[in-house]
Amino acid sequence: MKRLSRLSTIALGVLLSTAAVPALVVSGAAAQAATLSGGFDVGPGGFQGNFNPLAATAGFTWLSIYYEPLITYDQKLQKVVGALASSYEVSPDQMNYTFKLADAKWHDGKPFTGKDAKFTIGLAMDAKTGSVLAARLKGISSVETPDDHTVVIKLSAPSSSFLDTMTKVMMLPEHALASIPADQLAKSTWWSATPIGTGPFKFTKYVSDQYVELAANADYRGGKPALERIINRHFANPAAAIAALRSGEIQFTYVDSNDVPTFKDNKDFKVIEGNSFVVNYLGFNHDSPIWKDVRVRQAVMYAINRDAIIQSLYGGAAKPANCAYVAEQLIPQGIDTYAYDPEKAKKLLKDAGWDQINGGKPITLLTYYTTPLATNVLAAVQAMLAQVGINIVPRAVDAPTYNSIVLNATPDIAQFQMVYAGLQNGPDAGSINVGLNEKQIPPAGPNVARVRMPDLTKALDSALAEPDSAKRDAAYQDVCKVMNTNLPWATLWVANRYGIVSTKAKDFVWTPAPGGGPYQAAPQKWSIAE
Amino acid sequence: MLRYSLRRLIIGVGMLVALSMLIFMLLRLTPGDPIDAYIDPNLPMSPSDLADLRRNLGLDQPLPVQYLAWLQQALTGNLGYSIKRLDQPVLGLVLSRIGPTVLLMGTALAFAIVIGIACGVIGAVRRNSLADLSLSVVALAGISSPAFLSALIGLYIFSVRLHWMPSGGMLTPGEEFSVGDLLHHLILPASLLSVAQGALIMRYMRASLLEVLNQDYVRTARAKGVLEFWVIAKHALRNALLPIVTLIGSTIGLAIGGAIFIESVFNWPGMGLLLVDAVQTRDYPVIMGATLVIGTCVIVVNLLTDITYAVVDPRIKVG
Repeated sequence: MKRLSRLSTIALGVLLSTAAVPALVVSGAAAQAATLSGGFDVGPGGFQGNFNPLAATAGFTWLSIYYEPLITYDQKLQKVVGALASSYEVSPDQMNYTFKLADAKWHDGKPFTGKDAKFTIGLAMDAKTGSVLAARLKGISSVETPDDHTVVIKLSAPSSSFLDTMTKVMMLPEHALASIPADQLAKSTWWSATPIGTGPFKFTKYVSDQYVELAANADYRGGKPALERIINRHFANPAAAIAALRSGEIQFTYVDSNDVPTFKDNKDFKVIEGNSFVVNYLGFNHDSPIWKDVRVRQAVMYAINRDAIIQSLYGGAAKPANCAYVAEQLIPQGIDTYAYDPEKAKKLLKDAGWDQINGGKPITLLTYYTTPLATNVLAAVQAMLAQVGINIVPRAVDAPTYNSIVLNATPDIAQFQMVYAGLQNGPDAGSINVGLNEKQIPPAGPNVARVRMPDLTKALDSALAEPDSAKRDAAYQDVCKVMNTNLPWATLWVANRYGIVSTKAKDFVWTPAPGGGPYQAAPQKWSIAE
Repeated sequence: MLRYSLRRLIIGVGMLVALSMLIFMLLRLTPGDPIDAYIDPNLPMSPSDLADLRRNLGLDQPLPVQYLAWLQQALTGNLGYSIKRLDQPVLGLVLSRIGPTVLLMGTALAFAIVIGIACGVIGAVRRNSLADLSLSVVALAGISSPAFLSALIGLYIFSVRLHWMPSGGMLTPGEEFSVGDLLHHLILPASLLSVAQGALIMRYMRASLLEVLNQDYVRTARAKGVLEFWVIAKHALRNALLPIVTLIGSTIGLAIGGAIFIESVFNWPGMGLLLVDAVQTRDYPVIMGATLVIGTCVIVVNLLTDITYAVVDPRIKVG
């Protein structure tokens, strides 16, 4: 039997040696000097794997490091400022936009001119290129280039959202793309292999599903960048990005609000907090007879203890919303705050005859939010509404399923008598129009709650057509008032959004902008301590 | 033998076509299409933009037309273009992922075989000892812990806490390729992936060896005075390994399932990650392409196992 132990020893030896290999190959995971790595496409502002700005619905945080639009938002998303255009002018009737172009060069050294701008706008207006901006740019009647450094865009009708749309049109080089037919452009490998822009960093390498690497553009007109390289790591989910952040492999990523507390007191990281600009609401399906009476809708508002939910589930990281907007200048004085009052809710329901309208019958509430936070929020809302006699049953589905149900031209009301959803309300306040205007009921647009309120549609239309910006704020206040009174939605809150950055990164700018921006992030100034 | 193999091959091809039809139908039975996955409900897009996209991608055609168009192209080796990433042909995308998956699964399989057989031998030879008992407990835990759980625990301990291993990816971003770097990234996911399979092999190895150790010829060998080490190494082990070979072939499917989890947790750029990503974004051409390639692998592995078996044991041909 002695010999047996020899065999066991060999077997054990094999085992141990396999287990010991990890210790042998450990190497420094620390980032190299002058390289900043991040999960720039993690979370709702990212669009991982997309390299084509014409097809981008998000991901501008990253795209705007190597491409640039003519104009962009400032860091606080309040003003539209010049980017590739050194200045711009809008005619008083909001029909003519004149852009004076900066002296810029493409990454291959060729100059950027008005012809490139005209070419890019042409691509963005052409649906055949796969452009997601085509419909929004339909109002352009002509693009002229009186000289190499001037571009004049004329519209067929005034549009207060035009500048907002233009911030998303990233300029593309005519000399590199003109030879590709429009309908083949989206399939070109140029985007992920050899793209060139005008930004502070140049595209150098893409390793499929792993990372994108950019190198400093020494000839950048805004000065030579401080970093040598920026790397965008691709992650399958936010948890993987957080693991990489904590192990020191990356220096920045987006995080869900539930992950914030673990970073808050850690001196190695800085928490960046900002407005998500997404208002969360319970949308009443106005095609369903149960919500016809405004008293029922008011009862829903009174029955939900929003402050309690914000404190206990969001950890205070949200603001209650009493209409679709959060920006102070858009909210008028004296609107109803619908403070928690279950007794009042019960009385309103009784007056409206809720027993006759629906009673305790289950009401399907459809949502595309599948996070643990959303599940908890809906459980709380369900319990609070049950206390006043409204029996909702949440049903969470993935976003494609949600879209296919609610955007259907002839939907089954029983599938979604109510939705829990969100809609972006900034930086262009006009963006909320599509969710509330009667003219935007599917299939024409995404007014999924089928809101048919003439007062509201009128208020939205006049705000959109108002050329003067000061008067426009007043017009949006009117929209807010109508919403607050008529309650097309039970508006809940606007949550904060978070990024975490290593304290080693200096002058790093990240703003939780809708779709990732773009905004003035000044990547040429970013640097990192060794 | 040739007829047997041919017949199995034809059945395999038929299964692939049936698989492609089934996947195509199942995908279209789910509500929504890739265009619905394009829309972020928080940032609505204009319906005419979406209608244009749908038309450009051929999604406005009736289903049978779409399937036949796909099949016709697929027969010529063109699996279409990814919808999420239009600049990527599906075939290239899928082919570029086979290498990393084979590397990950191959390493995991090697770990599983070495560790499984070694532990199985220890367990059988030292039956009912403390070592046997503890290995059995470990094996039970290994078999019953799902891949995603062991992956997350492993990730937390070795990467986030101890900083020994990278948290994901196949190579360090921005660095030149080196085998050491690749191994550094490979070891953690591969060992975690090997856990369940290794535990299974160990259990089978232990049982199989115990059975063989009770056979007459082993007793004869011992009676002849052969050293115990050689009794086990030469006489018992060889015979005990036969069922293990079959087991390894049939657990490849299990490993593919585990690889899908491990690849998404560790961001390993293989077939699993590609498939998960494609399902999330309803990227039909990629789902079809990836499923077909995985299906082909499973069918080929089974075919090879069957043929090997037929070679080893001629009685199989009758059945």
